[in-house]
Amino acid sequence: MSTTAPPTAQPELSRRLPPMSASRLLSLFGPFIGLLLVTLLFSIRPEVREHFLTTDNFRIVVTQTAITAIGALGMTLIIISGGIDLSVGSVLALTSVTAAICLRGHQSPWMALLAAITLGGVVGMVNGSLITALRVTPFIVTLGTLGIARGAAKWLAQDQAVSAPATWLNNLVATNPEPAWLIVAPGVWITLILAAVTAVVLRATTLGRRIVAIGSNETASRLSGLRVDFLKIGIYALAGLYFGLAGGLQFGRLGMGDPTGNMGAELDVIAAVVIGGGSLSGGEGSVLGSLLGALIMALLRNGSQQIGWSDYVQDIIIGTVIVVAVALDRLRHRQPTG
Amino acid sequence: MVHTTKTLGMAAALLGLMAALAGCNHTKETGTGGASTPSVAPVGKSLRIAVVPKGTTHEYWKSIHAGAVKAQQELAAKGTNVELLWKGPAREDDRNAQIDVVQTFLSQKVDGIVLAPLDSQALVSPVADAAKQKIPVVIIDSGLNSTDYTSFVATDNKKGGLLAGQQLAKVLGGKGKVIMIRYQQGSASTEQREAGFLDAMKAAPGITLISADQYAGPTVDTALKSSQNVLSRFGSQVNGIFMPNESSTRGMLLALKDAGLVGKVKFVGFDSSADLVDALKAKQLQGLVVQNPFKMGYLSLLTTVSAINGEKFEKSIDTGVTLVTPENMSTPEIQTLLNPPIDQYLK
Repeated sequence: MSTTAPPTAQPELSRRLPPMSASRLLSLFGPFIGLLLVTLLFSIRPEVREHFLTTDNFRIVVTQTAITAIGALGMTLIIISGGIDLSVGSVLALTSVTAAICLRGHQSPWMALLAAITLGGVVGMVNGSLITALRVTPFIVTLGTLGIARGAAKWLAQDQAVSAPATWLNNLVATNPEPAWLIVAPGVWITLILAAVTAVVLRATTLGRRIVAIGSNETASRLSGLRVDFLKIGIYALAGLYFGLAGGLQFGRLGMGDPTGNMGAELDVIAAVVIGGGSLSGGEGSVLGSLLGALIMALLRNGSQQIGWSDYVQDIIIGTVIVVAVALDRLRHRQPTG
Repeated sequence: MVHTTKTLGMAAALLGLMAALAGCNHTKETGTGGASTPSVAPVGKSLRIAVVPKGTTHEYWKSIHAGAVKAQQELAAKGTNVELLWKGPAREDDRNAQIDVVQTFLSQKVDGIVLAPLDSQALVSPVADAAKQKIPVVIIDSGLNSTDYTSFVATDNKKGGLLAGQQLAKVLGGKGKVIMIRYQQGSASTEQREAGFLDAMKAAPGITLISADQYAGPTVDTALKSSQNVLSRFGSQVNGIFMPNESSTRGMLLALKDAGLVGKVKFVGFDSSADLVDALKAKQLQGLVVQNPFKMGYLSLLTTVSAINGEKFEKSIDTGVTLVTPENMSTPEIQTLLNPPIDQYLK
């Protein structure tokens, strides 16, 4: 995986205002087509469709998606900037344990959530700092912090799941929310609002353009005076805040902090971004695509279980979807832009 | 490099934050989990015995640990000092981690091993290595496809599953639609529970199994997702549910609460933890089949020491299963089963 600029990087201006070429259309509608195909797949058999294509089931799936989706939003920022963060699963466990411990220590739910978010941001900042200070690829650095954060979670939790008293945090990712007029869980709304904010930041602010610029051509960005190292630390820290929030929701979901939970969640999160059109060579990625990517994976698991497919069938299908998405990504890159 | 100092500063900040968090964790200060904890200071020559659980996060393993500590204290009173080395993989599907733990203990030349194999096949070869080195291995909790071990101290899991099935059939009045979600592939103890449960279902002609081939996975989170997905399909028609271990029972309980089905669907689980006992009290569960992990930990250590000292020991010990229902849960003997004296032994 190359995280530095590809040798034939185009100038960043053309990236910002790409014409509506076939590749652009593909990356825009690809995730939607995927979602449609998956929905159709599980709607063929009427006895499955009857339970699959319902508002109740839709509510379950979007609620299950929220945590992965928030993680995917943070990861989108990182991947667009040409980086990667493998520590997400461990950070989810670490921050959910943190929230549980704070609640058990009679802190308010707000404090618990804030502690989770802050700690997520701190781990992100450490990731960014190590990457820029040591000049080591993010893959290696975050592989290291994956272990450190997991170990810290187990240490804080004394190797036991940490139970905590019930608070409104548990309602954040309840499938049937209170009050009922919310329709879907507050966590899902948080995800959507966060997605909207992230999309605006990426498209309409200087910060967003700089993130894309670093991912498109790091050397050029450096030469044109961008403080690349400073920006990178900021990007990882910002994404870390997202992961911390996801960890807070993860705690709410179980009502306990599980130090062994969410192992491999980073792969789900990365897969969501890639299925949604993110490119691991940087410079490309879409907020909407990442959300749909996360939704597609949750929908695949849900549908497979409803149809009664075995574990291994589910694994193979999800793997195949990822490979197809990456293949499409390659295909896009071979076509000349404009 | 300018950044190096900045990085160090940040790492220090992170450590500080963690220390603060650890400080707010004031319930129990001593580690009882993953690290090897030599519990009693050895006086003269002592036996080093490793106890390797399947995982460390479930409360079940704490009871086993406490039972082993009780045996250790009794042995010390009789003049046999035992150094107890408690170490397991953190996650119950990490076969490689458990193999590594056993092999490390073998290379440390411990005097004996108590092992709860998390896979009936994967742990065969490290146990064979132990037999070659003449280190006795007592298998607890879950079976191993091997004859190299010294003794087998466990629950009759099939009987446990059967008891659960009979209770579910009873509370359903002998008819209805039933779901069982399996725990995970390769785990012998839960497979036997599932088989016992299915036997009980076959004996109840009025009951239809509508789903019995999905898996809950290793954690409460995976069990919750799996339960939600299965309930989404069958929630409107299901009358009864069985889950084969603690994490899957907890996950299903969360899913039932989430779907507003709790109390409406008859539910029998396996193993106990504080929140499952509360759920039983609130009649959200109609039964929990509980084992006696405290006794399992206690007897396994005594058996290992007997084997090391060349004394007589049983080749196979059944530590018993009990069906706990909302009706019988307040009797004294059930209370001891549900609340084993963990705090007395694990300080």
